[in-house]
Amino acid sequence: MLDMWLGGLQGLLHIDVLLFVLLGMVIGLVFGAIPGLGGTTAIALLMPLTYGMEPFTALALAGGVMGSVPMGGSITSILLNTPGTAPNAATCLDGHPLAQQGKAGLAIGAAGSANALGAIIGTVSVLAVLPIASDLVLLFGPPEFFLMGLFALAVVATTSHGKALRGLVAGGLGLMIAFVGYNDIAGGERFTFGVEYLWDGIHLVPALIGLFAVAEMIHLMIKGGSVAKSAAAVKITSMTSGLVETFRHWPTVLRGSFIGTTVGAIPGLGGTVVAFLSYSVTAQASKNPESFGKGNIQGVIAPEAAICAHDCSALIPTLTFGIPAGAEMAVFMGLLIIHGMQPGPLMLRDHQVEIYGLIWALTASCVLASFVGLLFVRPLSKITLLDSGILVPLVLSTALAGSFAIDMTIENVVVTAVFGVLGYMMMRYDYPRLMIVVALVLGGNIERNFHQSMLMGDGGWSVFFSRTISIILMIATVAVLLLPVFRGVLQQFHPRKVQAERGHS
Amino acid sequence: MKRFTRREIVISASVAAPALILPRIAHSAAAFPAKNIQFVIPYAPGGGFDIYVRVIAPVMEKYLPNKVSIIPINVAAGAGSRGVAQLYRAKPDGYTVGILNIPGMFILQQQQGAGAYDLSKFSWIGSMGEGERYVISVGSKSPLKTYADLKALSAKRPVKLSVTGPEGTAFAATMIGAQLLGLKTQLITGYKGSADYVVAAIRGDSDAVIATIPTTLRFVRGGTLRPLASFETHSSFPGIPDATTLGQPELDNISVERLIAAPPGLPVDIQNTLSTALAKALADPVVVKWAKENDLIMKPRTPQETARIIADQRAFFDKWKKYLVTG
Repeated sequence: MLDMWLGGLQGLLHIDVLLFVLLGMVIGLVFGAIPGLGGTTAIALLMPLTYGMEPFTALALAGGVMGSVPMGGSITSILLNTPGTAPNAATCLDGHPLAQQGKAGLAIGAAGSANALGAIIGTVSVLAVLPIASDLVLLFGPPEFFLMGLFALAVVATTSHGKALRGLVAGGLGLMIAFVGYNDIAGGERFTFGVEYLWDGIHLVPALIGLFAVAEMIHLMIKGGSVAKSAAAVKITSMTSGLVETFRHWPTVLRGSFIGTTVGAIPGLGGTVVAFLSYSVTAQASKNPESFGKGNIQGVIAPEAAICAHDCSALIPTLTFGIPAGAEMAVFMGLLIIHGMQPGPLMLRDHQVEIYGLIWALTASCVLASFVGLLFVRPLSKITLLDSGILVPLVLSTALAGSFAIDMTIENVVVTAVFGVLGYMMMRYDYPRLMIVVALVLGGNIERNFHQSMLMGDGGWSVFFSRTISIILMIATVAVLLLPVFRGVLQQFHPRKVQAERGHS
Repeated sequence: MKRFTRREIVISASVAAPALILPRIAHSAAAFPAKNIQFVIPYAPGGGFDIYVRVIAPVMEKYLPNKVSIIPINVAAGAGSRGVAQLYRAKPDGYTVGILNIPGMFILQQQQGAGAYDLSKFSWIGSMGEGERYVISVGSKSPLKTYADLKALSAKRPVKLSVTGPEGTAFAATMIGAQLLGLKTQLITGYKGSADYVVAAIRGDSDAVIATIPTTLRFVRGGTLRPLASFETHSSFPGIPDATTLGQPELDNISVERLIAAPPGLPVDIQNTLSTALAKALADPVVVKWAKENDLIMKPRTPQETARIIADQRAFFDKWKKYLVTG
């Protein structure tokens, strides 16, 4: 097994292959940073270029792209509150408040180093798990997917401290929107009002661009001035401070990477859920949960570490069964097939060197992209000092063009605009956007897997109680929901102790 | 040189507005093609139809009389209907062609109404390979060892079959196949994509699964799936019953066809130029090797043969569509 790891690494250590990793890394950074583009578009565009390449080189290029996209996406999330890719939306929640405080450099530095560490931890776990990966994937069926979704919703819901009701309203709205489009189980379309575009449901990325980027620009336009309040504060931040922060919060990194790796290996949930889950669990575990959403550096580290770890382990279901864990993986699968590698049970046997090479390329690109990102922290931070008169039109046009570019449909732009207004209203009236995003992503999954579970169990509930993992997930969900209650009780009986703890942190 | 131009064009086509595509004028005696050809794929990048076009189109370029590029364009909205409508409305000058999923398009029209296009009026170019046939299989850990075991189970209780949503071609194949086999079934619907619903059977969500032969083969070779009965006239799996031995020759009509079409009213000479280039591409070593690696059969079809395929499939589908009415 060790020789296979090394074989993959050896294949990578050729100057031409390395150059393609590097090229992929640069493309990934740029495409990640531009909202709406992301890794899916990058790989789709590069596909025709790889026709003449050796399969190994083509995979190295793709690995380079996939590894650096999260870093690119985090930069725009932090500076402009515009998620470069869908998973980066979680990074906006605390990354952008940090930028507003003039700490953009700190946040980008932390995001970069969290990315790199997450990728390394993810790689090591994937390399260890790959030989038994197929058994792992088979442990999760519809009942488990349903309960995983429910668990993720519960974790996120309990994060909205003191705003539980508003959180529920936002979550409910997200679920309603998630049910627009085809009914996967019974067929036919729902809530589409005869609009052809809505048959495929509300597309996630245009909605996210609206909820975050457009909403933020409306806010900035009304407020005037620049993103960061004072020029003096922006100058202080350096690239090293972010690095140091990440290492100071190593439990957050470890937790994020763990969540990213485990959830990534389960097909169907995807990077966005992973990022939000990691964010919420970190906020839950913190002694100081109120500080999240106001610029807590852990709120940047947690999702970024998880995203990169997820990207590594998302390869498991894609390679072993040909089940892509998202749009990016679907396009990547296309690339594999074009190069004569059919994802499936035989892939691990027949193409080991290519697979390990790919994993190394992805990791290398993740680490390299972080360094490149760190190098540019200083000039990039200056963006937060731009006057809104210049910044708003620039970002708005990029965001809307990006939204259109996803699949060349003008309706995407309408969705972005509508969600922009919605996002601004939610900011203004203090409804957590976290909930609407997670509900939007999970709604369809939860519904479909629930119905499938019921069909499996002939309409009875016993299917949920006769499977080990499903029981564990149920207990975990109940525990998460009861946690705030316990905290409240604890606070009632030992008010001083709890407060002391909070003050200490 | 050629590759560089294509990259430029592909990037501008997908990133910026389609208006940015700069047609490259080739100087040659033959009039067609004088500029790049758009290849409409009505699905998102990465799926089966997308991959076929992305492998075959670059090879097809070589066999056109003039040196132009064929540029794949994904128009994924409306479960494929937008791409097909766009192809139908395009100028019939040979510079827009597309790939159609049969019976996927029949199902779509049935769900969404006839829509903005009439499938029988397209100008047919040919097809990308022979239609893929189906096979019914179980996970390798299943207690069902033979087709007789499956029939016995069906006599006791409905057989659970995992399948995609009712919009998918796999759903139609599963419904019609189960009817022809006389199986009492209960469907577990809603799986995403062809690998996903096969893995559901391996995992034990369902008792059995009806999937195309290339997909099934991949899992059979990996030792995770066991075929029980093939829908082909002559089974390509040794030792298992087929449409002939089961006494149900109609099973062989269930297939997925990847037909290539141009807008209605395409001049015959252009139609032949394109059709010939496609046929030559299917025989090209690059495509032959790729097809072999993926268990696909690359048999060329003339425009007339393609038109006949669609008429036959239409008749077959209409006969069974009452079983496909949903929601």
